Amino acid sequence: MSDNQLNVIVICGSLRKASYNAALARTLPALAPPGMAVKAAPGWDKMAVYNHDLHADGKFPAEVTAWGDAIHSADGVIIVSPEYNWSIPGGLKNAIDWVSRFKEVPFKEKPVALQSCAGGALGGSRMQYHLRQSLTAIDALIFGKPEIFVSFSAKKFDEKTLELTDQPTVDIVKQQLASFEKFIRRMNGRK
Amino acid sequence: MTDVITICGSLRKGSFNRIVMNVLPGLAPEGMQIKEAPPISEFPLYNADIQNSTGFPASVHALVDAIRAADGVIFNTPEYNFGIPAPLKNALDWVSRVPNQPFVGKPIAIQSASPGPLGGARVQYDLRRAMVFLDALTLNKPEIFIGNCAQRIDEKTGKITDEQTIGFIKQQLAAFAKFIASYGGKR
Repeated sequence: MSDNQLNVIVICGSLRKASYNAALARTLPALAPPGMAVKAAPGWDKMAVYNHDLHADGKFPAEVTAWGDAIHSADGVIIVSPEYNWSIPGGLKNAIDWVSRFKEVPFKEKPVALQSCAGGALGGSRMQYHLRQSLTAIDALIFGKPEIFVSFSAKKFDEKTLELTDQPTVDIVKQQLASFEKFIRRMNGRK
Repeated sequence: MTDVITICGSLRKGSFNRIVMNVLPGLAPEGMQIKEAPPISEFPLYNADIQNSTGFPASVHALVDAIRAADGVIFNTPEYNFGIPAPLKNALDWVSRVPNQPFVGKPIAIQSASPGPLGGARVQYDLRRAMVFLDALTLNKPEIFIGNCAQRIDEKTGKITDEQTIGFIKQQLAAFAKFIASYGGKR
């Protein structure tokens, strides 16, 4: 591990144990280039449903602060999420809505890459374009291409082990991670 | 000097968006020079057969070269049918076919004016999506939506009469200068 290895965290948009998106998120550390370490972000599953009254005193719940701090200290963030009703899963949006209220929004100027798995042919693309819009509002540096849309995901993962078995998907994910490393270094180098 | 070029999505001479575009050089922060890009009005409707027989039209090359040479690009565009005006989309479609894509990593900013209350919000999100494919670096905020533009822009004098609008535009141009300095750089 070199000194300038990038610290990237991965956020999953699904809480379901057998989620394909969670399976993809677990695969990322092994597919990352040598210059990038990928770790799971703290969970957002314990966060209350957002309500301004809960932080009217200026104090945020501990699980929200932990999530925000992890984003803040990471060099980059990868969001791997399913599409719910053509859009961002409510739980993930809830977490984003929480940290968007921080005085220093942790996503601001943070490199963010997106990935999604879906059972259908569109691979979660509608969710990704909604997510891009929300990330624009909180001023993230959103990575462009290649995009990762894992369509017909049931065919791309092993039924029992949930291991990603589809080689073209493995290849494109590796490509995205390698490009994302370059993107982060380019963005950071110019700050 | 930071060189920024502007592309107008409307070809109409008296276009509100063109008026805004023409006002920008006077609102630019120190160190930023804003000039209009070569015209997109002469581009033929995109057809791969043209590109494959006689090559890219000279007008396309002129725009591509200008984008390459610029530190940033600002789009001033109306919204047509909730989307990107065809003349602008046609220009982007042509540019997207040249080798060594000029928009890759290029800082861009978007402004729109419209007579309705949303100020062209829908065209901006459509354009942002197309710019993902072109792999540009799109400025997030502040966004410039000039709603009810007929009350804020004087068609006769070619001036923006609303001080608040002028203030927002100045803020965006200053943020764009910072964005270019932070993340831009010709490659």
